[in-house]
Amino acid sequence: MAAYLIRRLWQMVPTLLGVVLLVFFLFKYFGGDPAEILGGLNATPEQIAAIRQTLGLDQPVWVQLGIYLKSIVTFDWGKSWATNESVANLFATRLPATLTVMTPILILDVLLALPVAMWVAYRRGSLSDRTIMVVSTVALSVSFLVYIIVGQYLFGFQLGWFPVQGWSDSVWTNLVTYVPLPVLLAVMVGLAPQTRLYRTFFLDELGHDYVRTARAKGLTENTVMFKHVLRNAMIPILTNVGLALPGIFVGSFLIEVFFSIPGLGREVLLAVNRSDYPVIQAVTVYLAVITMVINLIVDVCFKLVDPRVVLK
Amino acid sequence: MTLLSIQDLRVAFRMGKVNGVAQRAEAVKGVTFDIAQNTTVALVGESGSGKSVTAMSVLNLLPDNAERSGKILWQGKDLLRTPLHELQHLRGKEIACVFQDPMQSLNPVFTVGDQLCEPLVKHMKMGQRAALERAEQCLVEVGMPEPKRRLAAYPHELSGGQQQRVMIAMALACEPKLLIADEPTTALDVTIQRQILELIAEIQRKHRMSVLFISHDLGVVGEIADEVLVMRNGILREQGPVAAIFASPKDAYTQALLACRPSLERNPARLMVIDDHIAGRAAQQEPKPKDPSAPVVLEVRGLSKSFWIKQGLFGRREFKAVQNVNFQLRKGHTLGVVGESGSGKTTMGLSLLRLHEANTGPMSGEAIFGGKNLLTLTDRERQPMRRRIQVVFQNPYASLNPRFTIGQTLVEPMAIHGIGADTNERENRARTLLEKVDLDGTAFGKYPHEFSGGQRQRIAIARALTLNPEVLVLDEAVSALDVSVQAQVLNLLKDLQDELGLAYIFISHDLAVVRFISDEVLVMKDGVVVEQASAARILAAPREEYTRRLLAAVPRGYRPARAVA
Amino acid sequence: MSPQDASHRAPEGARPAWGGPAPGMSAALQSGTAAIAQVEHSEGVWHAAWRRFKTDRVGLVCAVIVVAFLLLIAMAALGLVAKNWQKEVGVPNAPPTFIGPRPPEAIGAIEVPKGPNVDLSAVDPLAPRYKEWDERAAKFKTQEVVKAETLPMGGDRFGRDVLAKAIKGTQISVFVGVMAALVATLIGTLLGALSGYFGGRVGDFLEWLYNVFEAIPGILLIFAFAAVFGRGITTVVLILGLTGWSGLYRQVRSEFIKHRSREYVRAAEAIGASVWSRIFTHILPNVSHVVLVRMSLLVVGFIKAEVILSYLGLGVGVDDVSWGTMLAEAQSELILGYWWQLAAATAFMAVFVTAFSLMTDALRDALDPKLRGLE
Repeated sequence: MAAYLIRRLWQMVPTLLGVVLLVFFLFKYFGGDPAEILGGLNATPEQIAAIRQTLGLDQPVWVQLGIYLKSIVTFDWGKSWATNESVANLFATRLPATLTVMTPILILDVLLALPVAMWVAYRRGSLSDRTIMVVSTVALSVSFLVYIIVGQYLFGFQLGWFPVQGWSDSVWTNLVTYVPLPVLLAVMVGLAPQTRLYRTFFLDELGHDYVRTARAKGLTENTVMFKHVLRNAMIPILTNVGLALPGIFVGSFLIEVFFSIPGLGREVLLAVNRSDYPVIQAVTVYLAVITMVINLIVDVCFKLVDPRVVLK
Repeated sequence: MTLLSIQDLRVAFRMGKVNGVAQRAEAVKGVTFDIAQNTTVALVGESGSGKSVTAMSVLNLLPDNAERSGKILWQGKDLLRTPLHELQHLRGKEIACVFQDPMQSLNPVFTVGDQLCEPLVKHMKMGQRAALERAEQCLVEVGMPEPKRRLAAYPHELSGGQQQRVMIAMALACEPKLLIADEPTTALDVTIQRQILELIAEIQRKHRMSVLFISHDLGVVGEIADEVLVMRNGILREQGPVAAIFASPKDAYTQALLACRPSLERNPARLMVIDDHIAGRAAQQEPKPKDPSAPVVLEVRGLSKSFWIKQGLFGRREFKAVQNVNFQLRKGHTLGVVGESGSGKTTMGLSLLRLHEANTGPMSGEAIFGGKNLLTLTDRERQPMRRRIQVVFQNPYASLNPRFTIGQTLVEPMAIHGIGADTNERENRARTLLEKVDLDGTAFGKYPHEFSGGQRQRIAIARALTLNPEVLVLDEAVSALDVSVQAQVLNLLKDLQDELGLAYIFISHDLAVVRFISDEVLVMKDGVVVEQASAARILAAPREEYTRRLLAAVPRGYRPARAVA
Repeated sequence: MSPQDASHRAPEGARPAWGGPAPGMSAALQSGTAAIAQVEHSEGVWHAAWRRFKTDRVGLVCAVIVVAFLLLIAMAALGLVAKNWQKEVGVPNAPPTFIGPRPPEAIGAIEVPKGPNVDLSAVDPLAPRYKEWDERAAKFKTQEVVKAETLPMGGDRFGRDVLAKAIKGTQISVFVGVMAALVATLIGTLLGALSGYFGGRVGDFLEWLYNVFEAIPGILLIFAFAAVFGRGITTVVLILGLTGWSGLYRQVRSEFIKHRSREYVRAAEAIGASVWSRIFTHILPNVSHVVLVRMSLLVVGFIKAEVILSYLGLGVGVDDVSWGTMLAEAQSELILGYWWQLAAATAFMAVFVTAFSLMTDALRDALDPKLRGLE
């Protein structure tokens, strides 16, 4: 196991390096001149030159790259160009909000999609299966935007069941008051594709020989579905959840924008609009690291789920 | 006493609708037979005969689109009309099943012990601990080494033979009256197959159980069955006691099936094929002896091939797949290479053709062909050499590109090597070759999926012949074919060898087939040549222990001496 | 290809008894299907798929809808329809025709005084010039543009025709979706083929590239690219294409790995076909159906991504209209009670995407059944 972990951590280094290089060169060669952006519209050439010198932009490329790498390793991500807030502080304050919204969404998505998918897969080809498939296709074709716009208007504005927007400092208030509407909308939209995906997993499992063996042993259909098939289908399902996990850290920026939730996604969007490069660069690199670490943890945990997995 | 009585069973599959008309494929067209107590009944047939469908109908283990009609009486009760929950009481308790591919049939995420206990808990109402004890007993009975440890093992940690033993243990757990075994040994190596067959026979004797044994291999069936039923295309062609079927079969198809098996006893020049037999053609003649002083076309010395396997953090170790193979292949002769899986026989063949990438591992030795060493040819030299040594692979369903027409498949090699002046000439050559392999010229514009396995294999042979090779490597080329089709292809190969003076390297796991077609035989095990001699000598006087074991494991069919034992 | 076989040999193509027939049953069903498919001439995979597709009524209807949309898009691109979507032809927020015009609003409660105006010509410094100006003005032709009270699908806040915008928006959104899908498919297929077939160093490098792109969550990657490249139609196509190839890459790569050890490729090598011939002439046609289905999924995904990007102001340029920009405007209009732009954009998008998705499903089913001899 130790050898496996070391090997994986070792393999992460080139990928991380690649991400850093990608971000660095992307912004360097395609982005605008940071000095001009920071200087603003009315800066004089001298001011811009001065800014350039402070930022170290007059140095050769590899020196700049070195400075950038150093800042990443020492966790010094600089300050936002727009608000002058330290980027590290930005993470600390915004991340909890994102997680408070995204975690319930992920949990509910999985918990709801599972039974529906199982039921639909078992009755493959029946009228209910096909109806659900068509309905979910239609539901999927409407952009998430529309759901939020209409949902917010209907449930928040017209019916007044939930607040239209808002956030508070207490986690509990958030969970009870401000989170339900966005979670409801997101789960509604996410349920269709998740169910379709899980249905495929269940159908695949139902096609395997061990299902026939289980039936041949005289087990009831319920036992076959809930013990044998479900247990095997958990493997691709958990893989899928594992893949979705890194996504909850970015959050759904749309939800955060619409509902004025001060989360990381919204922060990034603001940064993009304001050409706030340090924030975007830092978030990208930071999230890449989180993604890789989560992947590693999921892979290690996989052995618990699938006994055939050999970690080498 | 009759345990199971099948009366006029018909099974059809719904295949969807074409132009609003529901399509059905009939798999079983009216089958009637009985299974008595304490008997082994064998259901024999080639693929598509409906034998598996018949067996699976008993417990209704067919797919949802199957429609059954007729009667299946189990101790008086009609199983076709029994509701599901009653059927579930029978399954696993009175009637149990063993399937063909144990790796797929066992649930990969549960331990062996878990799966063994399931029928015990459900049918015998045992507690968990009692069930585990009984499970261990079952494993002991099926001859599983270290049964206690195996209870906690997962299926993928066991070998194929051990997995099949687990399946059998699971079937026996509740002491059923009838065991339905659907090709239980087909997916296993010959020596393991022998062990499992003996196990099933022993269990049948001990528990006085009835067995419905499905197989395509008459040799296997002859050894263990009391009664034999022969099916073809969904119809029962013949049924009777095993001695009668083997000694004096009445139906033409049964006669043909018995005759077209290559066997270790006889040595015909040609194998009888079904149509020959049905048409009543005469039997075989003795084979023409081969010229022992024919020129040597390929000489192999010290051929070795290893693969790199990743190990530890950064290292790798060498896995020796083939070690020190030597032989001489003469023009017009056939070298048979025999071994079980993992013996390295396929690796050896592919290495000669330089089809193993260089970066997979080191290769050493010499293979002198046309004055050059095949193993050290540069890329440029390899291309012209490809014309002279060709290959036919095992799987007829995978060796032809599904998106190419037959014509494209045949013309391509000629176009690459510049044979024939223009496309017309190449197409003509292709058509001639198709006729040479007994296929219609109209095959030219068709796609592979329109042909059967045997036909595709013949197309593959035609493709190999487009380049006028001198040596043909046949890598398990007939192993995936039905017995009767296999006979056709083997006869074709012999004819082509006589006509074109080809030299064959015939790789197979089936000793009987190798015996039929080879002049010299190489027996391989774990990458090493265990014994090497002429085909006749290997059969008559094998020197090595492994060779003897291999010979003994081959199913011989029914022999009257058995009745005495 | 493992260097040693398993300790038991599984017959290749052994299929489970449920989703498909077991080997023992396969030939029975094969003869059955052969009986069904009584084709006079040989058909390749595409012909067979087309024949199967034709029997799927839902798929056919959807295909017709998609084709109708494509025609509409072509016409819009050529300027035959919705050319003047930017012209403000209606009153602001004109309601749709089937609802009827808005009742005129009572503006304030200022009472209009009665009686003639006071004569100011004595104190008005411009008074002497009025007559001259009136004469001059009379020489010019003035056009009274009567702004329509209602438009077929309503008007937006500038009075632009929502129907025209919706059509033009369809053109832009679908164009972006399709072009981006093409770019992503080309990149993903090429890289996947090379990586899957060669393995080794080439494969390692491409896997590293893939890992780099996969390590960054998708939206973030798009944002990063958008921040840097700005907006505009070509930019969006490039951004989506350059960030969205990884899924296809993975699938093509695994298909190539699966196929390269198949016997027909070995056979091609044995007869001397060149490496490129093996990749592009032999394997690629066998993978093309997977690529096609995946690309269709990409089209839908990219259309939806473009809508969101344009909504956020990161997508198409300021002068262009897409479903996303329409939705952006619709949000503020909704609160005022003007729902027609939202409805129009949603309707067009829903119909097209649903039809396209269902058509893709039918296409996949038509291509799927045992792809005639592949397995």
